[in-house]
Amino acid sequence: MSLNTSTVSSPSPVTNVEGRKRPSTSSRGAYEYVLLTASALFALIAAYFVGTVIWRAVPAFREQGFGFFSNAMWNSSFDPTVPSQFGSLSMIIGTLITSGIAILIAVIVGTGTALAITFLLPSRLRTIAATLIELLAAVPSVVYGVWGLIILTPWFQYTVGPWLAGIPGFDWLFGTTAGGQCYLLAGLVLGAMILPSYVAIGREVINSVSKELIEASLSLGATQWQTLWKTVIPTARIGLFGAGTLALGRAIGETVAMSMVLGSALSTNYQLLKPGATLAGWIATQWGEAQGSNQVPALFALGVILMVVSLSMSLISNRLVARQRRAATL
Amino acid sequence: MSNQDATVNDISMAQVAESASFANAPVAMSLRNVSVAFNGRTAVRDVSFDVPQNAVTALIGPSGSGKTTLLRALNRLHDLTKGAVVTGDVKLGDIDVYGGTIPTTVLRSRIGMVFQRPNPFPTMSLYDNVVSGLRFNGVKKKSILDDACEQALTAAAIWDEVKDRLKAHGSTLSGGQQQRLCIARALAVEPEVLLMDEPTSALDPISTASIEELIGQIKNRVTIVIVTHNMQQAARVSDQTAFLLMAEDRAGVQIEVGPTSKIFNDPDDSRTLDYIRGRFG
Repeated sequence: MSLNTSTVSSPSPVTNVEGRKRPSTSSRGAYEYVLLTASALFALIAAYFVGTVIWRAVPAFREQGFGFFSNAMWNSSFDPTVPSQFGSLSMIIGTLITSGIAILIAVIVGTGTALAITFLLPSRLRTIAATLIELLAAVPSVVYGVWGLIILTPWFQYTVGPWLAGIPGFDWLFGTTAGGQCYLLAGLVLGAMILPSYVAIGREVINSVSKELIEASLSLGATQWQTLWKTVIPTARIGLFGAGTLALGRAIGETVAMSMVLGSALSTNYQLLKPGATLAGWIATQWGEAQGSNQVPALFALGVILMVVSLSMSLISNRLVARQRRAATL
Repeated sequence: MSNQDATVNDISMAQVAESASFANAPVAMSLRNVSVAFNGRTAVRDVSFDVPQNAVTALIGPSGSGKTTLLRALNRLHDLTKGAVVTGDVKLGDIDVYGGTIPTTVLRSRIGMVFQRPNPFPTMSLYDNVVSGLRFNGVKKKSILDDACEQALTAAAIWDEVKDRLKAHGSTLSGGQQQRLCIARALAVEPEVLLMDEPTSALDPISTASIEELIGQIKNRVTIVIVTHNMQQAARVSDQTAFLLMAEDRAGVQIEVGPTSKIFNDPDDSRTLDYIRGRFG
């Protein structure tokens, strides 16, 4: 988005400066010039980045066609007579499953936490909690990845996994064998990772619900619980949805932790205790052996899918959060 | 100032004269030595008066005199504020409001409230707004809700304007209509007392006039306590007036309570007269 606006807006002020149409002093001209150069540079970098990624991805889309989305195979062929097969289906589904689990955790645990911070904590603790949560949101994902790999994986492999696999009637969901690195674990780690940013935004959204609405609800004889469920959450829901989308955007783009705890496996078995791969994680793990091969365009193509998905996520969330601001203020 | 003087007096003469004699009316609420403090700082001190049933009691006084603070003590809305302490006796009929014999939720459904700014629930339709209080109290039957909705909207004099679009959202209404919707919402639970906190301060003059007219209409079904900073309004709508003032220590104290006609024409306290005449505040 910013790409378009800067390229469009840059030419006209330049002609203004040259044409001296505005009553501008020479110093004003200089500062405009500096700013324009900076923004033009930015536009150039952005355009170069987006342009080259798409350009390098084109061969993969052209070769694989729709198969790139529907195929779960990822075979780089060295025999010219056998075509290579690149399909992103596994990664797309892996991304959906792990993000889905993560967002579920974030929304349920995060909304509860945000409500508790806003309505239960005394104001002094509230500030402390908010600051701590914002600090947690800044922890680099590799730390979560290591935590997941070293601490949670063994626990999953020997305790949680066997237990879940043993629940009768849930084979379709969990499978029958327990592994350490799996969708469920990755989803949990991802959930823990996006939880702080969800709570941070969710808290602001809930805070923006007008006190007058809460009082209106209570003054009608509603209990605190009814006020939360029937007044606060419905009023905040658009913004909470926006916070969720924002968190989801982060979840989808998450690379390092995912390549560590998901096991980097391509399969069409999507039971939650099975290993898998995500779009971003796959790019990271495949890169080493891909260089110079015909895998490169396919990895770029995964990058394009990621860009489109996260761009639309952030567009949607921005819209929702803005709509919330208008709706919540009376 | 002298100009305003005249206006106030004209109004008070003309309109207050008809103030009903409510001296024998049953008492809807009674306040005895009611004080409100926030974190140890007293905001209202030692207020005592009776609220006569099916009459309008106005709380007037300059900003900072504790009108709204006192009003919110009547339906325990201060319970939400950490550090707020209400002392003294507040009674709804025979029930001690702070005695713990009646759940706060039940109490609040018997003492409704209308706020400064219209605050319909933005995610609910007009219908859902009006019946929200009943739903909070566990009423589910559609026929009961439908009846209550029509009745309350009729009582709030807005039924004809909205009956064809009950599914629409509250934000589609004008400010005055929204406030009448909020009054309907409060009336739908059939409270005995309705607290109104400067209900017209966010409204234009025409909407204000319609709300004032409405107050006159609904007082036969509900006892009203209204906070207003507008003396003409107090004179126009109320039967009894309580005048509060900020004392030296910044706490609001009661200066004088009496029939509105008396407060506006022949108050006992010179400070009341000064305020009514517009000398301060």
